Amino acid sequence: MSEAVLKTENMSKTYAMGKREVRVLSDLNLQVNKGEFVAIMGPSGSGKTTLLNVLGCLDKPSGGKVILDGVDISGLPEKELYKIRRNKIGFVFQTFNLLPYLNARENVELPMECVKKFKSERRQRARELLKLVGLSGREEHRPQRLSAGEQQRVAIARALANDPAIILADEPTGNLDTENKYEIFRLLGNLNIERGTTVVVVTHDSQVASHTERMLLLKDGKIAKEKQGLHLTKKKLMCPYCGSKIQPSDERCPSCKKRL
Amino acid sequence: MFVGMKDLGALTRAIRNISRRKIRALLVIIALGFSLAIMISVPAGILANQEAALRLTGNFNSTITNMEEEFNKTNTLIECSTSSGRGMFSSRPSGMSFNMSNPGGFAQQEVFVNETVVNEIRSIDGVKDIVPFLEKSSEETTSQTMSTPRGDFTISRPLYTITGVSLNSSFIDDYSILPTNITAGRNLHEGDTGVLVMDLNLTEYFNVGVGDKVTVNGESFTVVGVCDSTGQTQGFMGTRTVYMNLSDAQTVTGEIGNVSRIDVYVKDVSYVDTVASVIGAAYSEFTITTYKDRLTNLQNMQATYTETLNNAESTLAQTQTVATQEIIVAVAATSLIVLFMMLYTVRERTKEIGTLKAIGFSSWNVMSQFMLEGVLLSLVAGVVGIAIGTVGAPILSGLLLPSINSFGSSRGGFGFDSNPGISGSISASASISPEMMLLALGAAVLLGALGSLYPAWRASRTRPAEAMRYE
Repeated sequence: MSEAVLKTENMSKTYAMGKREVRVLSDLNLQVNKGEFVAIMGPSGSGKTTLLNVLGCLDKPSGGKVILDGVDISGLPEKELYKIRRNKIGFVFQTFNLLPYLNARENVELPMECVKKFKSERRQRARELLKLVGLSGREEHRPQRLSAGEQQRVAIARALANDPAIILADEPTGNLDTENKYEIFRLLGNLNIERGTTVVVVTHDSQVASHTERMLLLKDGKIAKEKQGLHLTKKKLMCPYCGSKIQPSDERCPSCKKRL
Repeated sequence: MFVGMKDLGALTRAIRNISRRKIRALLVIIALGFSLAIMISVPAGILANQEAALRLTGNFNSTITNMEEEFNKTNTLIECSTSSGRGMFSSRPSGMSFNMSNPGGFAQQEVFVNETVVNEIRSIDGVKDIVPFLEKSSEETTSQTMSTPRGDFTISRPLYTITGVSLNSSFIDDYSILPTNITAGRNLHEGDTGVLVMDLNLTEYFNVGVGDKVTVNGESFTVVGVCDSTGQTQGFMGTRTVYMNLSDAQTVTGEIGNVSRIDVYVKDVSYVDTVASVIGAAYSEFTITTYKDRLTNLQNMQATYTETLNNAESTLAQTQTVATQEIIVAVAATSLIVLFMMLYTVRERTKEIGTLKAIGFSSWNVMSQFMLEGVLLSLVAGVVGIAIGTVGAPILSGLLLPSINSFGSSRGGFGFDSNPGISGSISASASISPEMMLLALGAAVLLGALGSLYPAWRASRTRPAEAMRYE
């Protein structure tokens, strides 16, 4: 049996809106195994981001359990939660959330400051990670001098900084054009394939979600449907630039003509 | 370590955050700088006022002591003057010969009596010796512009006073009849003729020294001595005077055989009243001053000085109260500026706070980051405040505190300005000491930390999920 990195048991989340209580997540059971690439899909307001916030210790569940890497995080106080976020989770946000006054390398170094790594070590690792996401030579550029796709790559490198157990990505392609959208998904897919990084992506884009191994459809605060994904990148059946279907033997994408 | 992280990452971020909003940072730094400048200028002003008050007391004491000494030395002296005081010449007609003089348009009149009166007075019982003087304004004049509420006007006045002294008195040295403070050359001696002793500021004006020739009213004289009569009691010496033999003075002023003042020395103090009343009855043109008048003057002056010092103490107490209030306002202003600026910054950077927490920053990391920014900003403002204070302390303290310069300035009679015993003004100019500078930096850091404490705490308490939703 596969090892569960992330697991919820009858997890629920409610918000108080005035005197009314709104239940966003209800008795949700979910398991993500080590090395999986999972997409959580759903329409707007279905609770995708709330789920990701609870899974990423940014918010606390109202009921049930959330077990991350064997630790029940649902009852932990804030002073313990930040250690979980620091060591076990890498976040990728829709709006990248890079600090504008730091360059790409410094943004990647930021999570490593918290774990008290030496400056030389931080710098070395930041350079490696930026190389991994294809940003060699762009290390000293500030976010405003990078394209949206490049900024999201920096954010992915930052998420990998402390070698987390899981990467949680909230609409990572939401602010990107088509080409960058598939580039970022290909990057996440490659990280999953080559480094075995567990990735959970929240998206409402079914075409993008089809890159993953498993798709979970969230509806009314519950997992309404679970579907095996194609993990097309893995099978080399989708153009990483335009998302068109390709054959493993194709040297160029028949649609966008780019070299594969 | 304040931030508790490796290297200077937090400091670098703090510096970059401050510098990326340059105009805002500049305005806040200037505002804080002024608050801090006030905080250091006000105590500096108080210190300066206290020092000025001490100087004032010292000057008073010294003047009173000098006057007492002078009073003790001259208790057998009866001054017979044709004027009631320096620059206030009277002109009452009498049977004696009078010469009126009005040099250079000077509005006051100088009156002289024939020196035959000297021998008449000498014959009065109880008189020991007599020293006649001739004091007359020079023909050379100088212009001076006066400011009045009705506008400026220029007056012409004599450049200096010619004082002729009878040099054959045995009392000359004992009673300081001649200038006492000889700074170069020598004093006048019996038998001197064609020579003079000149006030220091006149030698500077004429650019002459001992041994040089000067022309007084067209006659050439050799300077044999230079005296500094600044601060000496007016009854004896002026501050722009040339001293010479009486006969030389009579010649150059054209007052042959005339004198303007006679100092009468009696055998002992018991003769003073009798001789004074005889002179007064016989020579109504003289204004007579004895030790009793001088004692009254001394007592009046002491009373005035005591009152002035009391006023000074009262003003100082008032100054300290005002200063305390101003410092409290400045401290509150500094803290509030930091508080509101940092609250605004925290609000503006809510999403950044959420991101930092999401990537693993603890509440303490976030709090210390914002506190560091507040302290750093205040520290820079502290340096600016010291710079403003160093340059502007005299102006700021002058604007914010009641000044010790005003003690007695509105006084008539024995006010300082009219009192030669305390010459010049008592200035209280504030300056910032190195200790004060260190204190200002310490205050800046402390107030920066205090002001940013609540905003930083609020930042640290921000829930990451809520912060991430903030736009």
